[in-house]
Amino acid sequence: MTEFFGVRHHSPACAFYAEEFLRRTQPEVLLIEGPSDLSGLIPQLCAPEVELPGAILAYTEEAPVHTVLYPFAEFSPEYAAMKWAVKNGVEVRFCDLPSGCVLAQIQRETPDKGESPDSPPNVYERMETVSGMDNGSFWEYCFEQCESYEDFLAAAENYGAELRSFSGNDQQNSLREAFMRRVISECEAAHPGGNIAVMTGAFHTAGLKNVPFTEQDRALTEKLPSVPSKATLMPYSYFRLSERSGYGAGCRAPGYNELMWECRRSGDIRDSAAQYLAKIAQYQREHGFACSTAEVIEAKRLADTLAGMRGGMLPNLADLRDAAVTCLGHGSFSEISLACADIEIGTKIGSMPEGAVCTSVQEDFMRQLKELKLQKYRKASAEELSLDLRENLRVKTEKAAFLDLERSFFLHRLKSLGVSFCIQKARPQDNATWAELWELRWSPQAEIEIVEASLKGDTVEQAAANDLSLRLAEADSVAETARLLDTAFECGLPACVKTAASSVQRQTAECSSAAEIGSAIGTLSGILRFGSIRRLELSSLPELMEKLFLRFCLCLPSGMVCDRPAAEQLITAVSAVNDACTAHDFLDGARFTALLSDIADNNFASPLLSGFCCAVLMERGLIAPDKLSELIGRRLSPGFAAEGAQWFEGFSKKNRRALISRLSVWEKLCDFTAGLSPEEFKPVLVCLRRTFAEYTPAEKSDIAENIGEVLGISKQAAAEFAAGELNAQEQQDISSLDDFDFGDI
Amino acid sequence: MSDILRLPAEELYKAELEALIKNETDPVPAGWKMSPRSVLTYIMGGKSGKTVITPKYMGDRRIVEICIATLVTDRALLLIGEPGPAKSWLSEHLTAAINGDSSRVIQGTAGTTEEQIRYSWNYALLLAKGPSHEALVKSPVYTAMETGSIARIEEISRCASEVQDALISILSEKRISVPELSEEVPAKKGFSVIATANTRDKGVNEMSSALKRRFNIVVLPAPADMETEINIVNTRVAQLSDSFGLTAKLPDRTAVERVVTIFRELRNGQTLDGQVKLKQTSGVLSSAEAISLLINSMALAGSFGNGEISDADLASALQGAVVKDDTKDKAVWAEYLENVMKKRRDCAGLYAECRERNA
Repeated sequence: MTEFFGVRHHSPACAFYAEEFLRRTQPEVLLIEGPSDLSGLIPQLCAPEVELPGAILAYTEEAPVHTVLYPFAEFSPEYAAMKWAVKNGVEVRFCDLPSGCVLAQIQRETPDKGESPDSPPNVYERMETVSGMDNGSFWEYCFEQCESYEDFLAAAENYGAELRSFSGNDQQNSLREAFMRRVISECEAAHPGGNIAVMTGAFHTAGLKNVPFTEQDRALTEKLPSVPSKATLMPYSYFRLSERSGYGAGCRAPGYNELMWECRRSGDIRDSAAQYLAKIAQYQREHGFACSTAEVIEAKRLADTLAGMRGGMLPNLADLRDAAVTCLGHGSFSEISLACADIEIGTKIGSMPEGAVCTSVQEDFMRQLKELKLQKYRKASAEELSLDLRENLRVKTEKAAFLDLERSFFLHRLKSLGVSFCIQKARPQDNATWAELWELRWSPQAEIEIVEASLKGDTVEQAAANDLSLRLAEADSVAETARLLDTAFECGLPACVKTAASSVQRQTAECSSAAEIGSAIGTLSGILRFGSIRRLELSSLPELMEKLFLRFCLCLPSGMVCDRPAAEQLITAVSAVNDACTAHDFLDGARFTALLSDIADNNFASPLLSGFCCAVLMERGLIAPDKLSELIGRRLSPGFAAEGAQWFEGFSKKNRRALISRLSVWEKLCDFTAGLSPEEFKPVLVCLRRTFAEYTPAEKSDIAENIGEVLGISKQAAAEFAAGELNAQEQQDISSLDDFDFGDI
Repeated sequence: MSDILRLPAEELYKAELEALIKNETDPVPAGWKMSPRSVLTYIMGGKSGKTVITPKYMGDRRIVEICIATLVTDRALLLIGEPGPAKSWLSEHLTAAINGDSSRVIQGTAGTTEEQIRYSWNYALLLAKGPSHEALVKSPVYTAMETGSIARIEEISRCASEVQDALISILSEKRISVPELSEEVPAKKGFSVIATANTRDKGVNEMSSALKRRFNIVVLPAPADMETEINIVNTRVAQLSDSFGLTAKLPDRTAVERVVTIFRELRNGQTLDGQVKLKQTSGVLSSAEAISLLINSMALAGSFGNGEISDADLASALQGAVVKDDTKDKAVWAEYLENVMKKRRDCAGLYAECRERNA
């Protein structure tokens, strides 16, 4: 006898009744939908040290790497069945197409056609229009809440048949079913008269049960195209299992499913609603929100009523969530969204015993080392590697010409994944964007980090891309996002560059800090100026920069009245934007100049910033000499000693030579200092000392010469005075400045 | 045609309500006129027997389901949201369907007193005869408790906090005590309260959390998609211009679409295609606001223009609606004009007019 049991993947009710089914059937052999060449992994997967969620990962041996993934959780019916079989010493095997064939199919198809070979698209959508509720809710009302084995079995079989009537069977599914029929008939032949249990998706059950294996099936399943592949067990996470990571046959709410599974096992599925709500409430309390038991009770009542109105016996996840939002979240989902994510999805990550894991990322890493001729660096002693990213014109193949560029992408990806195999060092020529210096060193730590990376993706490239996307989602400032954009760019991940660009764009509107926007502009400008060396598409950046630029110009005026630390940040930003403006014609230079003139002319703006803006204008020759002299005169007016000195500090932050060569500036400065009272002089002195601290001795002596000229002292005397030893009195005066109260200067 | 400016919902939709009651098949909760499912049909539209039920609320069905389910469980319902997503409208229609009577209303203001929520006295009678049932003036809440029906409280957050708190014991104990008569009036089955409150208006009082806990809170969102909103705006503009007797032509679809687009984009803080993120204004840009903007431009065009809404009329009305009294709004509007509207070829005329007005 061959008995069939149709399941919905990751359904706790199915898992629960699967055990019941096996107990009743007592099969000699158990066949489960899964890659038939990987049955050998079942005992490992059922070992007691294994903590789920875990997955079987099959991947092609050759690049480009394709993967298929068969994830399992505690509440997966397939896993429950495997465990039962291993415990009871029953032979258990997978009966679906071998992984090599599936991979071969994936390789032939367009790469973006979804990972799940299981669900024909649109069937579920069509069911949704008919049932008027989404597929998950429908399933929960009709099946998950069943309270007896018979009800469940009948309902599930019906469901599979209905599902089938909605979707014609496509080629892929016919092939798979033909193959499964073949395995079943072979198995029947090997165990004449014995009980065989077959566990597949409910959709396939209808295609297997009472359908004989025919000659046509044999022809179809003979000599299937296959590619060499390998497989491994790997730890998995609830987060990846949830649909948010885009796995079709995953499950929406693994955390919630586990909760239902626990309730089933402890006897009463009815508990799950109360438990869900209580857990949300508990999470809220732990995180500082008030949440009373009375509210939980009200939420439970509301959920029950909602279920009644929508035609269910017990509340399903959607009802529970609605009730939780209304009663525990006081109407807004955002108040409980973190709790919902924590309870519904959960953060559980599985673990595998040592030796069971050989992940595709590790293999990909080794292969790339070989391809990029980096194997010799895989040793315990550190070695330096210098790269030249430009095209190497002395070699024949394109691959060899861009070898260093590829190496750079690879190393940057590892760096961004936090793999300590490579460390980027400062370059000997700091401005040469085509040169990079790395230090490579292999350690066991790096090995572990690479395995960890496998949770993020299946190849180094994918993992780096996923990791960056996650970091992008978390980045909350424009400047940070722009830096991530730069990273994505260094890693050679065009898709990430695109996402990053659009999130920079999004954050621009929200950001009102000119300092951050300025820093983002600086980063983008750098990419744009030297970007072509990495051979990536950059056409969207100019427009983005224009937006940032406009925003910067709108934000700066409101930020210009500020204290010293803020002004220093703004100066960095203005300087970055100024560089960008000179480098890129498409930016509205006139607007920027007008803005700088405004700030330079504004008496209320931070003097440091105002002085700096004036210096920028002077450097670029965009300010009339008369105006400049008016500004210097106005700023260095008597009565505003501290402001004047700060202004001068800002003013002298740029183009020192131009400043030194202008005698008129020094005349004004001398007049200014001469007109100060002793109390005013001290703060000014502190500022001026700070200003000139950054100048080189040669520049200082030039300044001394200038001042000498203004004061009518000969060059030589001035130089001698400046170079001379300090006497005791002067020494004491200078030390007394150490106790000076700086206040806000 | 009635000479009443605005008829209550149960009068306007009398035929629909009667049809629903006649064709009832599901169990009816105590104190209700029809089953929860029929209430849902009345609000969302559908069919009852041969009668077509017009949709009263165009929006998320689940939200209305939560509202009705709340009232079934004898919990009080609090509808909150920005001005304009049809809070009072929904509350009126819910009571019209559940009780066939939407008239038990307390209109909350800063001057509302506790007596208006509980009960007060006819002082002439009180002085003449002392405390008696005849001298008692019952509030809408009191009457609702006696009859087992639903009382509405509009703009609850405008009432002073002390007055709001008068509801706390009524809602938890479901009885009202009249110490003067040494009596306690218990609420009949079916009693509940629907309150509405604004989140963004100035001059509102924060509700105490004790009171909030006694309500199930439902936040009404702005219309979810463009089509729905255009639909709402069109329907209401036609109704209103009819009743005001405006002479101008109804705005054509492009005008409505433009206004709704601008409102939606500024409200959501991004363009419809999600490509450009935008700053939001301080004012509220609700559908109700869009409706009054269009009526406004119609009045302008009809009284001073050629009877057809021009870009200039729209631009003036938009300037007034978007830029309230805040200089920040002006910058937001300028940024929107430069970054978004300027790039839309077909909006060139409107862009120029808007830009001129915002200068």
